Amino acid sequence: MAATESDGRKHHIGIKQGEVGRYVLLPGDPDRVEIIASRFDNPKFVMRRREYTTWTGELDGVPVACTSTGIGCPSTAIAVEELADVGVDTFIRVGTSGSMQHHIKPGSVGVISGAIRDEGTSRHYLPMEFPAVADLDITLALREAAKESGFPWYVGIAQSKDSFYGQHNPERMPIAEDLQRRWKAWMAGGAICSEMEAATLYIVAATLRVRAGGAMLILGNPDQRPMTEAEIADSNIDRVIDTSIAGLRKLIAADRAAGRIK
Amino acid sequence: MANFEPNGTVHHLGLKKGDVGRYVLLPGDPGRVELIARRFDNPRFVAQKREYTTWVGELDGVPVACTSTGIGCPSTAIAAEELHAIGADTFIRVGTSGGMQPGMQTGDLAVISGAIRDEGTSSHYLPMEFPAVADLDVVLAMRDAARERKVRHRVGVAQSKDSFYGEVEPGRMPVADDLARRWKAWIGGGAISSEMESATLFIVAATLRARAGGIMVCIGSPSMTHEESTASMKDFSIDPVIDTAVHGLRLLIARDRAAGA
Repeated sequence: MAATESDGRKHHIGIKQGEVGRYVLLPGDPDRVEIIASRFDNPKFVMRRREYTTWTGELDGVPVACTSTGIGCPSTAIAVEELADVGVDTFIRVGTSGSMQHHIKPGSVGVISGAIRDEGTSRHYLPMEFPAVADLDITLALREAAKESGFPWYVGIAQSKDSFYGQHNPERMPIAEDLQRRWKAWMAGGAICSEMEAATLYIVAATLRVRAGGAMLILGNPDQRPMTEAEIADSNIDRVIDTSIAGLRKLIAADRAAGRIK
Repeated sequence: MANFEPNGTVHHLGLKKGDVGRYVLLPGDPGRVELIARRFDNPRFVAQKREYTTWVGELDGVPVACTSTGIGCPSTAIAAEELHAIGADTFIRVGTSGGMQPGMQTGDLAVISGAIRDEGTSSHYLPMEFPAVADLDVVLAMRDAARERKVRHRVGVAQSKDSFYGEVEPGRMPVADDLARRWKAWIGGGAISSEMESATLFIVAATLRARAGGIMVCIGSPSMTHEESTASMKDFSIDPVIDTAVHGLRLLIARDRAAGA
């Protein structure tokens, strides 16, 4: 039971029971919430507190919401805990990430089936041996949407790191060699993209018995080479927003067909 | 060097060189930045991007800034890196925390001299054996400010955790026994304040050769029940910690000036 104010609003996100439905899209950036919600029917602003901005709307007649998590796993865990407490049971992360394979070009869409727990929050929930795995229904819905999008797409593992600059400028960190050794291992394991929230989202969801998944726009290059102008032109955030919305519609349709929507 | 956009702004904060001076106060909550900056002379809004809101102003004629970090060490490391890349070298965290020693009262201030690295970001910078220690000049300035303001305070170690609900509701976590055992050890070690950003701030500052410290207001204590802790919030105000932090920053500026720094 997450911390609640006397007016019934959850302590950090400022949302109360009844304001959001079951389905929530989770970007990191609060400024991206309105852009995503503008794809909903009847989008409306609900609350902004700290890094948590929430808009709601409907898709195919079903209430949906979009809440920002802020950067990193600590603030993401709080968002998930408090949203689950007001009735959310399906979480889909939407955002940007860095390519971890040379053949995965900027502008590709990555559907995140699992995440490397290279962060500090999820171990406050479960021991490191426990895998951070996405919900299969969400992964399949997002994969179908990615296939239909016409953009290059991949399903695979994300690295969820706590240090943005440890990934972007590993050589200037005191533990440069460790970072480079581990990055090489993640690449050799086939990880497709690097981001900062999925592992904790999946682990917290596991403990709360709710569903979580994610789709990321993949940017950059595994060797940190700057993107070319053509690559930058391909890196349009609309690709992953549209794919996530299409995937969420598919999930809602599948839930309805399975009798999971009243 | 932090990532810069083609327009010269740092990637996440939306600030460029010249926007801020050396001294930055760092609250977690973007909604608290304006409140703090109102204590500066000539306060003005500079940028808002993601969880990072920045206001600037002056104290005793010296440029100072206030930037929010968002909750947690990952976003705090980004803020410290990008502020340092545009010229900041003195970082002072200001915020709320949980009291960790019996006998502490809601409203007590904690001047943070070091932090338990119970988080995942600082291990991307330095091995766990390396201590997260605050800059001595910052610690002394904050302690003297608390003394001069006659606010109840302690100087000591903070626990910097990555999981808010792991601290406040440990019993419902699968690793409940581990959390309880570790919490007991932190209290046994004398930690005074549980928060979510200091350890990484201090470690990142060490790698950048910048100065960092912090002052927190504490809520509750291990000797209070949940109900007593909630009741203690009746007269709670964020103002004393803000006033003390700003006063401490004035002391630090005066001492830097006296030292010719």
